[in-house]
Order: sequence, then structure tokens, then C-alpha cells
Amino acid sequence: MADYREAPLATRPRTLDPNEYFNVSPEQRRSEQQRAVLRADLKRQYQTQLNSPHRKALIEDPALTRWVYARANPYLHFKPTYKTSLMGAMFGVVPLFVLYFVFKTDRDKKERMIKDGTLERKFSLSS
Amino acid sequence: MAAVGFRRLAQALCRGNRSGLPALVSGSRAASGLTKDGLPGAFPQTPAEKAAAAKKYNMTLAEYEPYPDKGEGFGDYPKLQDRSQHERDPWYKWDHPDLRRNWGEPMHWDFDLYIRNRVDTSPSPVSWSTMCKQLFGFIGFMLFMFYLGEKFPAYQPVAAKQYPYNNLHLEKGGDPEKTPEEVKNYEI
Repeated sequence: MADYREAPLATRPRTLDPNEYFNVSPEQRRSEQQRAVLRADLKRQYQTQLNSPHRKALIEDPALTRWVYARANPYLHFKPTYKTSLMGAMFGVVPLFVLYFVFKTDRDKKERMIKDGTLERKFSLSS
Repeated sequence: MAAVGFRRLAQALCRGNRSGLPALVSGSRAASGLTKDGLPGAFPQTPAEKAAAAKKYNMTLAEYEPYPDKGEGFGDYPKLQDRSQHERDPWYKWDHPDLRRNWGEPMHWDFDLYIRNRVDTSPSPVSWSTMCKQLFGFIGFMLFMFYLGEKFPAYQPVAAKQYPYNNLHLEKGGDPEKTPEEVKNYEI
């Protein structure tokens, strides 16, 4: 398995990940412990709310609220840079003009052929 | 409806946040229990802002990494690993088992892309080269065979339709007295 290469955009199996075997320093364990503390606190909050007999409403998830807010309001943090302006132009402006010219030339050619009588009028549905 | 308006009027008069008609008519209130600083904000510039943002998103300072500040609209939202929910342990007791996610856990920016019905980033069962060979091999073979079928068509032999009774001499309005010429459509 020494020549294992993961597929593009896919991940390695955990058993072949070198981090599992070589990153065992106390700092790594400390950081994992801190993460576990945060996770345990969130679990406790959720379970107390879930099992509380006085609860009548849905349990609101602040992480979900933050995600929705962040996805719905990207233009608050938008800055026009080279890359963002290029993206905007490529996806918003260029297709308009390109498609206009493509359709116009195609339709004009068809119109000219109809007027000359050279257009082959087939009975097929696709053209 | 009237009771709500009266209650809001009373509250406005007591607290005086906004006075008069706008307090009744606008009726703006938060849709959640989060305060303004619990919501995502701008890119953190100072280490103190970074620590506050990490705390806000329930992450440790070491693992909190915002998206690079290129004006693409992310703000201080954390950059999590691009891993699909397919990869998470199916046997652990998640709070939301179908999403394989716990309550309060920071969500990936593309979370709805990585749910279990959509993109899967888990390790593939065979290598990339094998997958490419199988797929393009099959498609190439089928295209080649269809090309050959166009080039060398194979069908049952056909001929023009042969009619009996001397090529239907009487049915085609021929003279019953006149004997028609014998038409032989066979060869022995």
C-alpha cells in the first residue's frame, strides 16, 4: 500500500493517514482535549434543553443561524478586487453579449436560408 | 392583532425605544435569540478579534482559521475541512443522525453541498486510473461499435413487393377479355 494515491478531490482512509501514527505529541493531545471540552459543553447544553419538561418550542441552533446569516449576506463583506470583478464580468456580463451574438447570427442565417428557399424543412422534432 | 398592537404600544411607551407610530408599524425584532455579536461579522484583524471570533463559533483558537480576506464575502466565517458528511462515523450517536452533525457544531460554508444525498469525498474503492480506464474504455468501445454498425449495416434482404394475378391485372382496371402478358416473379 506504499504507492496508494487517493482519487482527486477524495480523501485518504483513516488507517492510511500518517497523522494517525506520527502526531502523538502532548501538544496534539492537549489540543484534542480542548476540542473535546467544547464538544462536551455543547452536548450538555443540547441534552438539557432536549430533556427539559418545560420546553414547548424547537431548540434553536445558533450555529445554524450563523450559517444561514453568513450565506445570505455575502455582500456585506464584498470588496471589488481583480478576481471578484473578473468573476462578476465573466459570469454576469460576458454571457449576455456572447449569447446575444450567437443567437442573432444563427437566426439571421436561418432567416436568409428560408428567404432563399434553401432551408431543408424536415419533419423531425429536434431541428 | 389588536391585542398585539396595544401591547407593543404599551411597551414602546414604557421603554421609549422608538416613539409613536413607527414602533407599532415596523415591528422589527430578531428572528432568533442571538445578539448582534453572536452573528458572523467582518474579517478579524487583531488577535483579540480572532480569539473572540473563535469563541463565538465554538472553536479553539488553534483550529479557527478564517477564509483569506479577498473580498469574496466570507467575513470571519471559519474555513473548515472540505469533508463530506459521508465520511463521518455512521455508528456514533449524533444529535442529528441524518446529517451526522451535533447541535452547535460549526457548519461548513458548503454544508448543503456535502450532505449525504450529494457530494461524497470519501476514499474511492478503486484508484483513479482504474476508474478512468473502465469508464472511458466502455464508452470508447460502445462508440466504436456504433460507428462500425453505421459503416456496415446488417439487415434482412429486401426486394420490391411482388403482386399475384399477373401483377393484379384485373384489379388495376385491366381489360378482362385481353389476356395480359405473363409476369413471372420467380426463378426456379
